[in-house]
Amino acid sequence: MLPAVVIAIPFATALSSLVLPSRVSRVLTGIAGAATAACIASIALAAANGRGGLDALSALFLLPVGIVYGAVGIYSTWYVRAESIGADGDERYRREFLALTNAFACAEVVVPLLTNMAGLWVALEVTTILAALLVRLQGTSASLEAAWKYILIASCGLAIGLVGVVVLYAAGVGPLGSRYSPEWGQYIAIAGRLDPNAVRLAFLLALIGFGTKMGLAPMHTWLPDAHGAGPTPTSAMLSGILLSDALYVIVRFAAITNDAVGSGMTRKLFFIVGLLSLFVGAFFLLQQRDIKRMLAYSSIEHMGIVACGLAFGAPLAILGAFLHMVNHAAAKGLAFLSAGRIAARYETREIDKISGAVAVLPISGTLFAFAGLALAGMPPFGVFRSELMILAGGFSTDDWPIAALVLGLLLVAFAGIVRWVMKLTGGDAPKFVRRGERDIGAIGSMLLISLVVLGLGLYVPVPLEHLLARAAFILGGRG
Amino acid sequence: MLHQLTVPQALAGTIAMLLLIVQLTLFRSVVVAEFIRVYALQSWLVAAICFGVGVTERAWDLVVLAFVTLLFKGILLPRYMQSLARGISARIELPARINVLLSLVLAGALIGLSILTSIQLPLHYGAFLPRADLAAALAMVFTGFLVAILRPNALAQVVAFLTLENGLFFGTITLAPGLPFVIGILLLIDVLVAVVVFAVLVRALIEQHAAASVTVFESLRG
Repeated sequence: MLPAVVIAIPFATALSSLVLPSRVSRVLTGIAGAATAACIASIALAAANGRGGLDALSALFLLPVGIVYGAVGIYSTWYVRAESIGADGDERYRREFLALTNAFACAEVVVPLLTNMAGLWVALEVTTILAALLVRLQGTSASLEAAWKYILIASCGLAIGLVGVVVLYAAGVGPLGSRYSPEWGQYIAIAGRLDPNAVRLAFLLALIGFGTKMGLAPMHTWLPDAHGAGPTPTSAMLSGILLSDALYVIVRFAAITNDAVGSGMTRKLFFIVGLLSLFVGAFFLLQQRDIKRMLAYSSIEHMGIVACGLAFGAPLAILGAFLHMVNHAAAKGLAFLSAGRIAARYETREIDKISGAVAVLPISGTLFAFAGLALAGMPPFGVFRSELMILAGGFSTDDWPIAALVLGLLLVAFAGIVRWVMKLTGGDAPKFVRRGERDIGAIGSMLLISLVVLGLGLYVPVPLEHLLARAAFILGGRG
Repeated sequence: MLHQLTVPQALAGTIAMLLLIVQLTLFRSVVVAEFIRVYALQSWLVAAICFGVGVTERAWDLVVLAFVTLLFKGILLPRYMQSLARGISARIELPARINVLLSLVLAGALIGLSILTSIQLPLHYGAFLPRADLAAALAMVFTGFLVAILRPNALAQVVAFLTLENGLFFGTITLAPGLPFVIGILLLIDVLVAVVVFAVLVRALIEQHAAASVTVFESLRG
């Protein structure tokens, strides 16, 4: 029942946004975000106790949707008003933005609810189409370029992913017959009877294809453009939710592969893309001049950390990788939402032209600093905890030299993020920039999401621990 | 060991080869309209394969899918693309450092890679097109990528994506004919919606830059 509700809420809000005035639909979007978050929390609680029909992996990957869509929905009540798009902003733009944002959330929530391998592909492709329209929405030359690159690269990537689905299907024809529904559970049940080479090829294709959507290097090239050029709430949803949705599909493939041929191959491939992503993210962070592109490269870096966590294969590292995905969604959501307010107030995204954000926007600036420090891996935030788990897991295995390399790259990324955060939030603000903030919707949404960013660093609730452990069991460990 | 092919299998193999040859003509075409005609022809061939698999395997949903494919991908989409192409520069240039011969050599290498990959896999192949199906599907996907990379024109890239998708569709119906009908229809709808979104972006590109060349997309780097 509840899974149907979490699909129905954003879907109905998207439809109503097309016909209702934006002043009404923005309030509905805020309510929809909060209601969806509450339903997802309830689903996760049930799954943690082994109830509700969804497995732990699905419930765990719903959490980023609840956290980020919940915050974005409330934030959008501010976003579609004056400051972000001009006092006499276009009503059509507002309606399109709200309709597309809710439709995008609907597509994103569908992905973790599915276990049909072909259905997963269709759902992810729908997210691509909707995200491209959102990225294009601002109508600038840069947004058009970003949308074009995004839809072309992501669609081509997903095409490779579909070949992976088809190869897996063909591998199942022997044991399951020529006509069957490609349910994940069926593959797990007959994993030992699947042709090993076909399963390996299917996983390779899935990692390349869905890894493109996840922003893993070297298939990441669309990500900084789309995250940088899209509207702020879209950037938060792309980074916080969509990347974890793509990871969900890869993990489903990896679980089948681990059961069929052991985890050796999946771990090797996760290491390759994980280290490459960490390398690209960490070093490109250092040279960014645009606040949102800087956060986008941080996303690539964090996806690299997650991939490395899965690659280490130690139970602690896998738990850390899954927890990191939730922590990253919250921290990156907060970072994009607060960065959007800073960029709107300074009327620029160029880092060189922004300073003293804490003085100009005391709450948003401070929360941006929190988010930046969290993303850099500083205690006591949640990201620190999950990175520590991944590294501790890595150092406990024979792959400890790789863990040391990961630690080194994390330090590079740390230096990059902290340097930019200090530049943006500290120092004197330009005199022409108006000071102060009173936007309850935006501030409230950011405060709520910051509770998750900090809270998961101080304490991991028992139900979440159960979810993480069950999800890690589904993926399978070293073997 | 060589297997004796039945007449339907031989016909299917011939259509698969025709699909690849049609795909390769994209490397020498320099006119948008020709690109679109190539795509239409390819879609007719894919619909024929779908029909053949449906009849051979007595899967009547695939026969229905063949007619739907023919209608949308063989007739309506090409017409829509032609209407989109009117009013813009008809020629599509290759990048200066690549000529037709070199692009064909690259395509040949990708086809070789596809064949090598497919012979490594003892998959349970369909009766209609044994052995050649995975190789042909992979070759169409890989060469579709190559066309998209080598042609810096928005419409050419859309057609390249569509031919690549034809390869996927071909692979799906030959390698996985039992995939539920609803998935096949969803794939088709998905392509149609993607084309509409591509069209929105192409129109915006033409409005902003008075051309469909994607060489203007160079502001976002680093």
